[in-house]
Amino acid sequence: MTVWEKLRPYGMVAPAIIIFSLFFIYPIFYMIYLSMFDWNFVSPTKTFVGIQNFKDLLTEPDFRQVLSNTTIYTLLTVTLTTGIALLLALWLNRKSFFHGFVQGAIFSPHIISLVSISLLWSWLMDPEYGLLNWVIGLAGFGKLEWLSHPSTSLISLVMVAVWKGLGYNALVFIAGLQSIPSDIYEAASLDRSKPWTTFTKLILPMLSPTIFFLVIINMIGSFQVFETIAIMTQGGPINSTNTLVYYIYEYGFRFFKIGYASAAGVILLVIVGILTMIYFKLLSNRVHYR
Amino acid sequence: MAKIELKNISKKFKDDTVIEDLNLTIKDGSFTVLVGPSGCGKSTTLRMVAGLEKQSGGEIWIDDKCVNDTPPGLRDVAMVFQNYALYPTMTVRGNIEFGLKNRGVARQERDKLVKDISEIVGLTPHLDKKPQNLSGGQRQRVALARAMVKKPKVFILDEPLSNLDAKLRNQMRTELIQLHKRLGTTFVYVTHDQVEAMSMGDEIVVMNKGVIQQADSPMKLYHDPANLFTAEFIGTPAMNMMKMGDVQGLDIQSAAGIGHVGFRPEQALVNASADIEGYAIEGDILTRESLGAENIYQIQARTGVFFVKTFLAPLVAADRVKVTIPYDQLYYFGLGGERLRGIVASPKRLVAAGGI
Amino acid sequence: MVKLLKAVNNTIGGTPIGAAAEDKRTSTRSKQAILRKALRAALRVINVVGLLALVLIFAMPFIWMLSTSLKTLPETMIFPPEWIPRNPVWQNYADAWNTGPFLNYFVNSVVIAVGILILQMLTIIPASYAFARYKFKGSNFLFGIVMVTLMIPAQLIFLPVYLELSAFKLLNTHLGLILPFASSAFGIFLLRQAFMQISDELLEAARLDQAAEWKIIVKIMVPMVKPVLVTFALFSFIAHWNDYFWPLVMTTNETARTLPLGIAKIREVEGVATWNVLMAGNLILVAPILVVFFLSQRQIIKAFVYNGVK
Repeated sequence: MTVWEKLRPYGMVAPAIIIFSLFFIYPIFYMIYLSMFDWNFVSPTKTFVGIQNFKDLLTEPDFRQVLSNTTIYTLLTVTLTTGIALLLALWLNRKSFFHGFVQGAIFSPHIISLVSISLLWSWLMDPEYGLLNWVIGLAGFGKLEWLSHPSTSLISLVMVAVWKGLGYNALVFIAGLQSIPSDIYEAASLDRSKPWTTFTKLILPMLSPTIFFLVIINMIGSFQVFETIAIMTQGGPINSTNTLVYYIYEYGFRFFKIGYASAAGVILLVIVGILTMIYFKLLSNRVHYR
Repeated sequence: MAKIELKNISKKFKDDTVIEDLNLTIKDGSFTVLVGPSGCGKSTTLRMVAGLEKQSGGEIWIDDKCVNDTPPGLRDVAMVFQNYALYPTMTVRGNIEFGLKNRGVARQERDKLVKDISEIVGLTPHLDKKPQNLSGGQRQRVALARAMVKKPKVFILDEPLSNLDAKLRNQMRTELIQLHKRLGTTFVYVTHDQVEAMSMGDEIVVMNKGVIQQADSPMKLYHDPANLFTAEFIGTPAMNMMKMGDVQGLDIQSAAGIGHVGFRPEQALVNASADIEGYAIEGDILTRESLGAENIYQIQARTGVFFVKTFLAPLVAADRVKVTIPYDQLYYFGLGGERLRGIVASPKRLVAAGGI
Repeated sequence: MVKLLKAVNNTIGGTPIGAAAEDKRTSTRSKQAILRKALRAALRVINVVGLLALVLIFAMPFIWMLSTSLKTLPETMIFPPEWIPRNPVWQNYADAWNTGPFLNYFVNSVVIAVGILILQMLTIIPASYAFARYKFKGSNFLFGIVMVTLMIPAQLIFLPVYLELSAFKLLNTHLGLILPFASSAFGIFLLRQAFMQISDELLEAARLDQAAEWKIIVKIMVPMVKPVLVTFALFSFIAHWNDYFWPLVMTTNETARTLPLGIAKIREVEGVATWNVLMAGNLILVAPILVVFFLSQRQIIKAFVYNGVK
């Protein structure tokens, strides 16, 4: 082996590794470092405060509200998206032109900018002239305030997230369903298995890797929800839709409390880290049946 | 054209020794077949000749040049792979001329060579197709053409027929034999199928566990196996083996310890007349396979199960038969599996009188 | 095997176990058959109606967007709403376009999305090839960096990256928006899988054909993973074309801002209530993507669903 042959692989991975180290790995450590300082971004000196930022965060009622908002938002979004998507997948898993068209239609929001979706739904949810109030009016309900009232604002955001994510989730499920060999169904029907039994004993366990994948992906995505909140509610009304990333953004870029915002970032990092670990742990524990 | 010499070759994968101290000379212009069960090191040997695998010790000579440090592309060796390894992104023409391009062969000459070779293997109408659009046999031909067009000194084929169906395999077998005659190049061929080895090679190297068991012509291998392994490996059905301890009624004059006695299924006679001098076994017929010209019986005797093959004889209907093996058709093997030659056997008087 | 099972199934179906009992009820049988047929037809109708309703849930908001974008301001304030505008107001589109330097936004969007894509291709192809095909010291550690990057969403570390870019004087520049995404862990992950699946025989054949290593990569390996590359390119382009967060955070003025930011800004410029202009602007942003989507739907769906199924 010549020297060049020995060095070649390093040369080939170097550009990518440099980018990752510079813009992903180093920032993580930098953020952890910053979380232990009091700094307003403009002042030349940073004051070391240890874990004071974390103490402040956890005693701050606003932050508790943010944590609870984020958790409720995530739990609702993930359960609804994954659950409805699974039902849709079972329904739509057929190969015809029409079914293909329906699949395409429900998938379309996934490739559209969150900006567009946020603006569109702000208009649909307009309390005075919005289309949604008209639709629920047809069903006999009175007008709702949607985003403008603290009691409905968070659930309205969940609705938008479910609407956007449903198609993608359903299509991943369909891909999962299609990867199950069809002779298993045939064998089950020869064994006179009832549809419900086939579903719970065969399909669901065989889909479990897909379910875990989607639950984790949706969770990680939901924990860092930002666009819809920045455009539709700005965290309001009365902090009812303020979530972690938006909170970090506000403290960092509006109030210039860099250390404090970084500490919140570290907490988010820990949450996402734990979720990822759980995912890989479950993967290695073979929730697969392959 | 070239002679290949392997001198004291050894190969280790991490701590596993696959081949130890292997010496082999492959004659110039021969059709040499390396054969053995899977994992016997035959493919590794072949790949070391091609330079795709580096030997852990020893020397490889092609013609009178040591090629230990020559990269595979410069060894003047061409190879046909088991799965053909055609470049799926190139046309048939692209596949065939890729090696020529890399050698800097001029365009005009390249075109001529590709044209000639595709006529030989019958690919002319398919030159602009992608390999995915060809049948198995056609892909095989592309792989051959790609190897041949470089006019290599040595042609290496690694189980090239194993992906073809039985009929096509037979056809390609004859084509390869003809090709070898026509080119006169040294062919080194690897297979695990002893029938393929026997029908194609003019020199056969039987390998087991990284050791060469016997290197000989097909007929020598069949009639004069050097050891137990070769005897059992060559021939269908395989040579019947009896443990010496189970054999009764045989008087053997030998100083060496005998481990096994064997005979070929096609040498045994069913219900032979009494005047044939031989070792007789009685047994029950378990199964009969009638293939038309030949019949194969599976027989349960006191010494174990063995096979008998008869030619152009009516199928035996009886359940219990006497099988006679002429004395000169018995093979003797020592306790270590080595062949013992020159042993003369005769019936034990006493037992013959009393019956078995 | 499947055929065999089917054959067995057929014979069982032909002589059901309760066949004798059923023969006695031949008269009720025809009635049942009619009922069953009716039920099946009803189910089919319900199915089709359900599918149409589903399409409606996803299509209606877009139709509503189009309708609003052609209305006058007073028309948007009619309740119950009207679907078809009396006189289509195309002026809304011009108004939307004129709320900011839209040509500038558009150029920025293209430069950034294409720039990212080109750099990603240049960095992920060699890296994934090396990870898939070479054994080298430290490769596990280096691939660990890739995996960590894959797991950490960019949204999480924007604050330190902002400070970093500001230290490099890269805020408000195209480069500042491109550089953090000049490589993609997801892309390396996908492409590495693809390279690993290529059989060793092919490489060996190429080596016997005396091809140099770079030639093997460029002429044989890369063409073989082209479908994966196309998939990834679609994924990357759409993601960065749509991105709002990153350009929002990393810019403080108009020089490098992109279309999504421009559209979001209409609301601030025009005031909350001008939904007609807002929807016109929104349509400018959405229409190209939707057109591309319906033209190459299959390919795009594959690109996005790919990472779920692997």
